[in-house]
Amino acid sequence: MLKKLFLIPALTLSFMAFANVAVIVHPSNAATLSQDDINKIFTGRAKSFTDGKAAEPVNLAEAVAIRADFDQKALGRSSSQMKAYWSKLVFTGKGTPPKELASEQEVLDAVAKNPAAIGYVSSGAVTGSVKVALTLN
Amino acid sequence: MLKRKLLAMMIAAAVSGTSHAAVDINGFASIKGGMALSSDDSLYGYDDDFSFKNESLAALQVKSDLGDKLSVTAQLLGRGADDWDVKFEWAFLSYDLSDSLRVNAGRLRTPFYKYSDFRDVGYAYDWSRVPQSVYGLGFDNIEGASLYHTTTLGNFDSSLQFIVGSYDGDTSIGSAVADAQIENITGVAWELGQDGYSFRMAYLTGKTTFYVDQLDSPAGLYAQLTAFGLGALAKNLDIVDESSSFAGIGFNIDKNDWLVVSEITKAKVEDSFISDQESYYISLGHRFDNITPYVSFEKEDNKAKTEIYAGVPSASPIYAPVAGLVNSLETERNSINLGVRYDFHPSAAFKAQYTNADNKTADRKDSVLVVGVDLVF
Repeated sequence: MLKKLFLIPALTLSFMAFANVAVIVHPSNAATLSQDDINKIFTGRAKSFTDGKAAEPVNLAEAVAIRADFDQKALGRSSSQMKAYWSKLVFTGKGTPPKELASEQEVLDAVAKNPAAIGYVSSGAVTGSVKVALTLN
Repeated sequence: MLKRKLLAMMIAAAVSGTSHAAVDINGFASIKGGMALSSDDSLYGYDDDFSFKNESLAALQVKSDLGDKLSVTAQLLGRGADDWDVKFEWAFLSYDLSDSLRVNAGRLRTPFYKYSDFRDVGYAYDWSRVPQSVYGLGFDNIEGASLYHTTTLGNFDSSLQFIVGSYDGDTSIGSAVADAQIENITGVAWELGQDGYSFRMAYLTGKTTFYVDQLDSPAGLYAQLTAFGLGALAKNLDIVDESSSFAGIGFNIDKNDWLVVSEITKAKVEDSFISDQESYYISLGHRFDNITPYVSFEKEDNKAKTEIYAGVPSASPIYAPVAGLVNSLETERNSINLGVRYDFHPSAAFKAQYTNADNKTADRKDSVLVVGVDLVF
């Protein structure tokens, strides 16, 4: 409880300063990733990592603040623009957006479990069970 | 939320008969109100009475992933203009042959234009409506199959679509309703994009037949012409299994918050009284954070095939009906649009658009204002 209370002002501060976004993969994933590779995977234009292995992106829900940072830094678009982008594909049978998870903890768990997964959290939230592929700041 | 999940589960069970199929439900809606700005004006279905019904629509899409790269999608759409009667706008199955190659089969959208596929999804673009001078071919859907290939060519993203199928339904021709059949539709659409720039081209052909009661019935114009010994003229007018083609090119720039889109199209139905149709539009906008104002210009130029009746003496009793029919499809119209999109909510955009259409053939100008909200869910 005390920890939580302590976290709130810290988080608020980091959002104001625009948190660094850590793009994370399973520890066994040896692929190198550029921002462009991440962009392609999260917009459905690439379905595999640079080493050819299948990639399963997991997104954060819009309610999580770091999502907007990721959309801007990794994809170069606002969350509204990303929604417009996906609505073009979803309603025409051309693509399905990445699954959205409700919290950074869920993303950490999903990536730690799945060698094909790729997700992102704020840099401060990274744990030893995942590997940071790239930090966007 | 719970309700949605429950509904999803029920539909999943109904669609697949199994309990483990993953079902996605999505939807979109446009609630728009508009009116013509003076009592004599009428445009896009609006007159000078404010209407919420004319361009509003709502749709629900259910997609069930059946596993092993097979999925089925149905999109139910109701338009205010059709008294909200719900129809299957899309209904198709998809099979992924590979990561880059997908087959869709069923009821699909014909890929004439850049925005054909998602013209009903207002949230996906900035305008209040797609430019009607270009997007006015009169029919959108096709029953058939398409092969969709996506890849990267150097630095470019390429998406290539082949489509085959047929259309059977109503369309409008001038002010009359026609029962239309377009057989043997084959087409290709190719889009290349890189870093905010994209280029698109499409080419489709088919065999068109239109049945219009006043023309094709036993007491119609063609039968009368044939009885007059003018069967050859009737054949030059009628629309029976006629070779037809559509060609379109377009480009799009989305760079440093400047937005430019343009498309040019040309449609022809050979050996018929349907005019050759040439249209284009160009739109320029700028994104100021969540507010995007834009201006666009449209041109529609449909040239009547006056050569069909060039040999008919003007004193002949059939001159007036034949010339009248052919000339009724002449249209030269310039339109200007001014509008704004405001993303006031993560899933909804407010839009307002003013349109002034200058119809040079009919010598009239019409203005319409529409406001509304486009949303996705």
